[in-house]
Amino acid sequence: MTNGTQGGPEILENLKMELRRGCLIVAVLAQLRTEQYGYTLRKALADDGLAIDEGTLYPLLRRLETQGLLASEWREEDKRNKRFYRLSPAGQQILTQLLEEWQNINTSLNKILQEA
Amino acid sequence: MSKASIISSTSSTRSRNPMDLLDRYLQAVGFWLPKAQQRDIIAELSEDLHSQIDEKEAELGRSLNDAEVDDILKQRGRPVLVANRYLPQRSLIGPVLFPIYCFVLKMVALFYLVPWILVWIGMMTFSSSYRAEHTSAGWLGAIGSAWSAWWLIAVFALGTVTIVFVALEHAQAKSRFLEDWNPRKLPPVRNPNQIPRSGSVIEVVVNLMFGIWWIDIMSDVMSTRVLLDRPEIRIVLSPVWRYFFWAFLVLALINTVVAGVNLARPYWTVLRASFRLATDAAGSGLFCWMMKASVLAEITGAHISAARALEITNAVNLGMTRVFPVVLATGLVIAVVDVRRILRVRNGVPVQLNGAVSAAVV
Repeated sequence: MTNGTQGGPEILENLKMELRRGCLIVAVLAQLRTEQYGYTLRKALADDGLAIDEGTLYPLLRRLETQGLLASEWREEDKRNKRFYRLSPAGQQILTQLLEEWQNINTSLNKILQEA
Repeated sequence: MSKASIISSTSSTRSRNPMDLLDRYLQAVGFWLPKAQQRDIIAELSEDLHSQIDEKEAELGRSLNDAEVDDILKQRGRPVLVANRYLPQRSLIGPVLFPIYCFVLKMVALFYLVPWILVWIGMMTFSSSYRAEHTSAGWLGAIGSAWSAWWLIAVFALGTVTIVFVALEHAQAKSRFLEDWNPRKLPPVRNPNQIPRSGSVIEVVVNLMFGIWWIDIMSDVMSTRVLLDRPEIRIVLSPVWRYFFWAFLVLALINTVVAGVNLARPYWTVLRASFRLATDAAGSGLFCWMMKASVLAEITGAHISAARALEITNAVNLGMTRVFPVVLATGLVIAVVDVRRILRVRNGVPVQLNGAVSAAVV
């Protein structure tokens, strides 16, 4: 609800979630420049301060793979089958463009904040 | 490899019963997944859960008990929700059509379902024959049978609207017909406190024409009360028509004057909106009275027997009585609209869109 019935902390949480949503995709793509499986990817993101829950990460990985930005393969490691993800060449291109966009947004925001 | 074998093979690396909590959880998630992706998703989910459990066990230096596995699964979420996150976003009626769907549902409720209840209440209150017919099994039985009839009507009406919108959604998904629109075809900015001049002109003309016709036709009728006097049929109105004649005439004149004022100053004021409520209430009251007043005194004819003539007279009067609840319900709806108008004007809600300020002229 947005008609004034929502508490301040709840509004902040929702806005933070919206802000993080786009960033998470960039973070996942960047993290997968090195091949990883889901669990270690999640740990790595959390260690770098971008915690993401499994319910969001795995569907996101599948979506990015469907879009051709990631490639994956099942391999056995520590006696268990694990699915390893890595950035595809198309993903690499997109990541470069997204990082450029990210820099542009950052520059614009800094400019706006300095003007204010 | 079947889903069951994935589940049991993933759990075989742990010294757990194949039917333990984890397997049951994976099976429950798998149930909601499409067959094509089920195996893959379950295998990955299973691996992730085992990794989490392994890490926790390494941290504690012992195997997890059922309660601890239970906590991990609860943290993951309800199986149907977990599965749903893997599925594409689906909706019977999408965000483009949904507001229109809600609007149509409201209209159906407002102009069909609510009036149905009002008419039923009116019939039960004012029509003794209807009441007698429907309360043979007592009042509770009458309410129960009306409720079940209304419920069926509501389900049918709302279900039909929903099915139509689901079909529209399918068509919209294929042709994207709603994305092709023209801003120039949008309706003009509307000020709810403005009285359309076209409406006022129509009101003036209609009321004037009615007044002239009423005087022309009814002034002669009023002296004799004979509405029709032909060899084959003669219709005599009841004496109460004298009051109707003057009341409708005065009402038509007042409405003409008010419509004329509205034409000259086309904004509602509290005074004029209240006046409209009073005239509408008077009109509704007159019509209600007319329905109940046995308007025909007698019908006679050369080829109609006295008994048959009496039967027709009573049938006409009774028919009008039966229409009474509908007239009352209509009057109430009009009164509600009028009261809302008064409140809106009194609260002085200004309409300001893009610099086009249209404030009520009080």
